[in-house]
Amino acid sequence: MPATRKLKDRDVYLYHGQIYIPNTYTAGGLGTQVLAALRDKKKILGIRCPACNRVYVPARSTCKDCFGQLSELVEVSDRGTLLTYTVVYQPHITQPVEPPIPYGIVQLDGADNGFLHMLGGADPGEFRIGMRVRAVFKKERTGSILDIRYFKPL
Amino acid sequence: MRQSAKKTEKQQEYISIRFDAPRKYRWSTGKWIGRTYLEAKENKKIVANRCPQCREVLWPPMQVCGRCKVEAGEDWVELAQTGTVMQYTYLVYPLWDPHYGEKFANPYPNAMILLDDGVYIRHFLEETDPKKLKAGMRVRAVWREDAERGEGTADIKYFRTIEE
Repeated sequence: MPATRKLKDRDVYLYHGQIYIPNTYTAGGLGTQVLAALRDKKKILGIRCPACNRVYVPARSTCKDCFGQLSELVEVSDRGTLLTYTVVYQPHITQPVEPPIPYGIVQLDGADNGFLHMLGGADPGEFRIGMRVRAVFKKERTGSILDIRYFKPL
Repeated sequence: MRQSAKKTEKQQEYISIRFDAPRKYRWSTGKWIGRTYLEAKENKKIVANRCPQCREVLWPPMQVCGRCKVEAGEDWVELAQTGTVMQYTYLVYPLWDPHYGEKFANPYPNAMILLDDGVYIRHFLEETDPKKLKAGMRVRAVWREDAERGEGTADIKYFRTIEE
């Protein structure tokens, strides 16, 4: 609800409001399979392109090079290598957690591309490129990419 | 982020991803509107200011009189809390508050009320039965509880029908 606050020693109020912008989109058939596996089995699924023999994580329905329709879901490891990272200090409404948030691109074992997610379990200054990391899952999972809490250094 | 899952027949599941991105804003009421906020919150009063030249009551309070284009100053007057419904509209269609995503109370009537000192104010009515609503009915302001006040004219909950 709106909160108004009176400025000290003045007959002036500061009105704090907001515009509510709800958004909903479907994960789709393939996205639902991947998120349901994450939620129910704590498994990270990738998808293999039979023509390029490349495994994409997160899964996508078309290959970026040969444009083929992809359908072969494969399980990849929950461990991987940190390819690069950054640390966000600016709080923002779209950020899933409070800053500082280390974000990293992780190449999971069995995947051929990097996967953007949050890092955690260590001080933001401790992350290094090439570090081995492991996915930490939430206890209560809802079928979201945020069911992975963060990737933690091994 | 919130998620919801709907199972359709044959066990085919589709996950919907929902994310709300409310945009926050804030504005200063300024000195004149701030006075209405203050009086409504502290003293349950509706106040307006008077133009020094044409002596008209300015509602909402203004720094400059719209007719005379002179500084209206701070000649404050308290407005009456009883009035007459001059016209009303009756909302049936379910609408959502665009600011907090909550459903408006439905149905509810929204009225132009001529206060007894000649100032028009737009507000809600307590009476929600369309058969009992009529132009010309007498109403009195009902204020919110002490802890809920602090939002200007929204501190008046609604106008209640009075028998005279």
